[in-house]
Amino acid sequence: MRSLTLESASFWYPATEAPALREVSLEVAQGEVVALVGALGAGASTLLLVAADLAPRVTGGRLTGSVARGDRSGIVLPTPWTQASGMAFTVWDEVAFGPANLGWPTHEIARQVDRALEQLELVPLASRDPATLSGGELQRVIIASILAMDPGLVLFDEPAAELDAEAARALWRLIRLQAKEGKAVLLATSALDALPDVADRVVWLEDGAVRAIGTPELLADVAACDAGLGTSVASVWWASGLPGPYPLTVAHALQRWR
Amino acid sequence: MTGGRLHPFTLLAIAGALPALAWILPAPAGGAWTATVALVLTLTPGASPGLTSTGSSPGWRPGLVVLRTAVLTAAPFWLFLLLLHDVPTTIAIGLRITTMVASFVWLVAALQPARLVEAMVAAGWSASVAYLLAATLSAVPVLKARARRIVEAQRCRGLSPGGGIAARLRALRALALPLVLSALHEVDERALALETRGLVPGIRRTPLAPPPDPAVEQAARWALLLACLFALFRRFV
Repeated sequence: MRSLTLESASFWYPATEAPALREVSLEVAQGEVVALVGALGAGASTLLLVAADLAPRVTGGRLTGSVARGDRSGIVLPTPWTQASGMAFTVWDEVAFGPANLGWPTHEIARQVDRALEQLELVPLASRDPATLSGGELQRVIIASILAMDPGLVLFDEPAAELDAEAARALWRLIRLQAKEGKAVLLATSALDALPDVADRVVWLEDGAVRAIGTPELLADVAACDAGLGTSVASVWWASGLPGPYPLTVAHALQRWR
Repeated sequence: MTGGRLHPFTLLAIAGALPALAWILPAPAGGAWTATVALVLTLTPGASPGLTSTGSSPGWRPGLVVLRTAVLTAAPFWLFLLLLHDVPTTIAIGLRITTMVASFVWLVAALQPARLVEAMVAAGWSASVAYLLAATLSAVPVLKARARRIVEAQRCRGLSPGGGIAARLRALRALALPLVLSALHEVDERALALETRGLVPGIRRTPLAPPPDPAVEQAARWALLLACLFALFRRFV
């Protein structure tokens, strides 16, 4: 079942003439993780804002084409410090801010908050003042805050930007878990090496338009490596002038060498 | 009882009643009385002018710092009044303005925005309106913290906020422009962020931990209102 469908969607920010998105058509199904990759300014963040119904409703601007959402969406923005409510005494309160705004009964709020805190391994921080958290901790709190609202479509914009390697690995596992639970996940990231294990499909955006859609194998293509969008292994292979097709991961490279 | 422990509505009622009484009661005695009360309130434990986060961290500081903030904010008004009026008028209006300034500084220091939101939502207000009011009250310390960060950043670039008048004016320009622009930018960011956290019109927020509102505080609020009305009646009738 489709959770998000964009058909020829184009979007212009206010007071701009060039569209930030150009004729983008994309479907994201429940249980699927779709990753958006591209250079800075390619339109990945804008696509997430459109998918979240924040653009143009909140940002202003103009949207053409159609966007259909089958589920309520939740988006994790790339700047966790702006997404914090600023109205919470503890991490638990911060995570509960969203569910409380949805008007849920108290017991349901508590259940979702406790679950999200466990998923993000934040239980030991539950009584901490959010203002005292590190960037990585706050990032995890915001992710928990969005997941606690139980969105059917989860949108992540550079969710690992503030995380250390171990926390990032835990996040990728959590994203796969979300898909396994039936949620649709749309993810914009520059952590390309994680995508072979995380994403079902990869969408390559260029100048606001979809250049290619495929499996994560797309990140081992010559064209992707030319554009700086290959995985580390593929990029090394490409840079050293070895013949294609390039291996996507270390495991693929080992198979090739043996 | 300290300001930080009172129900948010009681804090608002006190901060509203004092300036009202300052203008209603005959000068200068009325203004002197209300200004004294307001300045003493700034000394109550729990008041903090240094709220550095957006409201979640109390960051208590000694009441003396709050008192100093109130006095320093009110002082320029006295100077201007003295330039424009005679001494009795200056004292009459100055005490009233001091009451207003001290009441507001105390309110900002003592009122925790999160408690205000919870109290308003529990009283049936829309969460958006409650958040807007709480965010407005916490804007002063937030802007102060932001200004401090900008000054530090400008220092890193070699701009000194000290020195002669010309140097200070240059530093002021380098502070004011980024401060205003970043504040405007943050309005957009906050609007976007709050939407992502479900703060949208039309849904009644579930109060999580509404602050207790004892009957004695409710009675005190009514008493303050009646006192203002009585004083107004006595003044004009």
